Amino acid sequence: MHDDAGHSIVLTGATGFLGAFLLAGLLDRGYHVTVLGRSSKERGLSDRMSDLVRWFSLADPGERLCALVADFSKKHLGLDDATYGRLCTAAGKIIHCASDTSFAERNRARVMATNVNSLPALLDLAADARTKHLYYVSTAYAAGMREGICMETPISTDSFTNVYEESKAEAEGIIGRYCENTGVPLSILRPSIVYGHSKTGRALKFNALYSPVKSLSCVRDIFIKDIVEQGGKRSRQWGINMGDDGTLCLPLAIYLPIRGTVNLIPVDYFVESALCIIEHSGSSGIYHITNDNPPDMTTLAEYSERFLGLRGIRAVWDPSGKNPAPNPAEELFDRFIEQYRPYLSDRRTFDRSRTKSITPSLSTPAFTYEIFERCMDYAVACDWGNT
Amino acid sequence: MKEFIMSDRENTIHDVLKIAKNCRHYAMCKIDFLGTGVCASGLEKQYVSFYPEGRMDLYAALAEGTIPVTEKCVEIADSCNLCGKCDFQCYFVNEMRPSKVMKALKDHVSAYLESGGKIVSPEDDTVLTELKSIVGDFWATNDSAVRITYHHDLCPHVTFKMPEYVVMPNSHEEISSIIRLLSNHKIPYVVRGNGASSHGLVFSEGVVMDLNRMKSIDFDEKNWSVKVGPGVASYTLQSEAGKRGYRVHTAEPASLVCANIMTSGLLSTFSTTYGISADNFIDAEFIARDGSFFSLNDRTAPNLFSFNNALSEHEAFAICVSVSMKLHPVTDDEEGILVPFESLEKALDFARECATRHIGLAIGILGGEFVSSFLAPTKKLAAEAKDIFTKKLGMPYLVLFIGDRYALRSVRDMGQPAIDQKLFKTLSQGLPALHSAKWLDLLKELSDDEPFSYLRLGQFGDLAETALAPFPTQLTEDIDSDLRPFFEGLYSRPEMTDLVWLNTFRILSSRYCREKPCVALVCYLPIDTSLIDEIQDGLRDIAEKHHLKNEFGFITPIDSGKRCVWEYDYYFNHNDSDEISRIQLATHEAGALLDEYSEKTGTIRQVRYVVNQGCCRRENLLYL
Repeated sequence: MHDDAGHSIVLTGATGFLGAFLLAGLLDRGYHVTVLGRSSKERGLSDRMSDLVRWFSLADPGERLCALVADFSKKHLGLDDATYGRLCTAAGKIIHCASDTSFAERNRARVMATNVNSLPALLDLAADARTKHLYYVSTAYAAGMREGICMETPISTDSFTNVYEESKAEAEGIIGRYCENTGVPLSILRPSIVYGHSKTGRALKFNALYSPVKSLSCVRDIFIKDIVEQGGKRSRQWGINMGDDGTLCLPLAIYLPIRGTVNLIPVDYFVESALCIIEHSGSSGIYHITNDNPPDMTTLAEYSERFLGLRGIRAVWDPSGKNPAPNPAEELFDRFIEQYRPYLSDRRTFDRSRTKSITPSLSTPAFTYEIFERCMDYAVACDWGNT
Repeated sequence: MKEFIMSDRENTIHDVLKIAKNCRHYAMCKIDFLGTGVCASGLEKQYVSFYPEGRMDLYAALAEGTIPVTEKCVEIADSCNLCGKCDFQCYFVNEMRPSKVMKALKDHVSAYLESGGKIVSPEDDTVLTELKSIVGDFWATNDSAVRITYHHDLCPHVTFKMPEYVVMPNSHEEISSIIRLLSNHKIPYVVRGNGASSHGLVFSEGVVMDLNRMKSIDFDEKNWSVKVGPGVASYTLQSEAGKRGYRVHTAEPASLVCANIMTSGLLSTFSTTYGISADNFIDAEFIARDGSFFSLNDRTAPNLFSFNNALSEHEAFAICVSVSMKLHPVTDDEEGILVPFESLEKALDFARECATRHIGLAIGILGGEFVSSFLAPTKKLAAEAKDIFTKKLGMPYLVLFIGDRYALRSVRDMGQPAIDQKLFKTLSQGLPALHSAKWLDLLKELSDDEPFSYLRLGQFGDLAETALAPFPTQLTEDIDSDLRPFFEGLYSRPEMTDLVWLNTFRILSSRYCREKPCVALVCYLPIDTSLIDEIQDGLRDIAEKHHLKNEFGFITPIDSGKRCVWEYDYYFNHNDSDEISRIQLATHEAGALLDEYSEKTGTIRQVRYVVNQGCCRRENLLYL
């Protein structure tokens, strides 16, 4: 473990989507990174890190990358005194990226345990290590259920769309109060919805933006199979048929209660912004890493149609948000996007003054079809994460 | 180095012998559960030796030189007309083709005779002569070709015995006379039903009395009862009751009703409503060991309603010669559903809740092994189905629930998403397509906020039907091509996807030992998740220590949800002596573990102690 405080970073969540890309960015810039994490059922943490290094085609980081299996429910993260002591030396800066991203209420206990209850151990580490700076990767949606502009300021609501938002907001509060009391410099990074790399299309997780597209892809395949192999009798009864050009006409209305946008950013933009903030002296504060020109569902529907060879996908804005007479495909899709619905017609906008002041040369890449296609091609190539 | 290469003929013998030695002794070839009819010679000559099951044993014995070619052997071989009905039946259950063995048996005997081999004719002795005078010449024999088919089954715990005689009485008077005769000669005897005794109770070095000729079924509809002879199989009785609009409480389809009741008592998913042990009959008639006749309801009759918590003597106290059973009403709105659960705990909660509130007729928590074995027509598909249900769909436990429309409405009100009858048909007939269905991943994601919530979608059944294109032809793709047309027809029948019918007649559950036979560890205990989990861990550890496949079988709540009956299964290869040694050790240890918990909790009763006390009062088993 390296003890050059400025260049020595402890990172949590490196096995997740954002954390992994951030780890790659840090190593690429020569940082010494100590990863705190868990082994999976199949792979030890060190092996998982080696896998990531290979996946990112990084040069062997050697001693610049260290993996420690940590248990955030235990004192000193469950490490022995000597290891914990060395960890404190290495924790020049701490980036807390680990998170449970489930929106499901039934997972509340698990989400709270990961996102909130684990904080004392992390904050103890920050104190014991006398860390120079703590970075907390939150979410833009910790702003809660609201419309209009969300400022780069502490959260002032207790009304949330789901337990994930709630837990992130609560964590921001706990970390904020701790840092204020102890004088540890704190930066809170609030990304919106993150998808794959805009230039390579690569990603490690295929939820959020990917999920509705994957869902459409599966529904499409069901009906193509029915038409090609069974003659399509069932498909026809719901107005689903195959055009001469091989395009599947799949009438599928996506009902949304209000007109809004989908705030998407590519992971490379997130990483570059985060690194800028980390490397900027005096960067304490809250940062919205979001899209100033987010697309809406019409654009996403068009992109999905084009990518999947479909016709008939359309967004419908209706205050009830309910399709009065859905066909089976619409009914399934509607259920599928249920948890994402608040983010698909979002009326929140995000003030980015502080972010822009620190990342003047960075701007969110436009969400073009080419980028969408690149990312989806990659997702399909890896069978939506199954390979 | 000398090479051992088997000739084609030796290969054929080896393959056929393998089939013969893998007969599961379920007696499914003795009942007409597929509508194909039953082996004609078996129906006529009644000894198991004349059914495919017996011919399998006989062929194995001849091929291994255990017995000579005898008169009965020739008769048994000749009586097979190679009709092939047994192939349909045995393939359905075990994916085996007994007709190859039937043919090999005929070939073996004719080759022996053509080569000038002598037919051994056992001589009648005094006992046999007297037995024949009671039952008639044909119905008593000491021919080894018959005796060998009554000499063993798959029970790993007993030493098999070759009987001196096999006798088939046709009335309780004949039984009485036989008993008196045998008592005079001090010859031991046992009574046999259809022979698949999991406790090894059907062997004797003296006489095996096969009661299969006593097939009387007398309905007394005004009293809601039916009197059943000891040779009546569950499937047959259920069919007859069904024709009259009733249901009887029966167990495995080929098991004989009287034997079932007397040995361990009737257990099924209907036990939730119809009960266990003495709940299942109105009266029973017996021949005592001294040859006297008595009825259970006689004031002077022995108290068979009592219970002694000890392993039974091998010889039954008396021979049951009839049982009067309850007829249960059937309503025309009965329907079955499968309610999926992510954990045993949640499945137990649901089952207990239903039983406590008296919702539903039949309830059974089934594990992935049972569900997949029952549904899939082949072992290969069963393995895929198990993976699909337990992993891809995240349904390691499914509660089979049968009820009328009010009961089903109550389950809906309880908020449980369920696989309804229509979706069950789709899943059954579309099973092969599930394996490659990528959309299953979506279903798992849809379960993130609420497990199986997609089952609530009004049109999910339509979508599944579109996706899986269910059709019997799909289900029969892996089946031997010459059998395929029959099975396509079979799987097209409405009853083959009707959960009520399937649960009433239980023909699918005969598949549960298709991969390997098993020893079922069965006990009554409270529906206590932590206790069941703890015991299950212990049973699993024992099996794994002995390298035996082991699986959760089923749990059915009984007695208003206060208790349940639980089966946990250890699987073994009955042709592998090493595995038999291991299963003996494992079941011994498992029995001891259950004894330990029984003593510790004061609430657990093992079914192995109920053997031969099946007509005891339920209260003796559930209120210790």
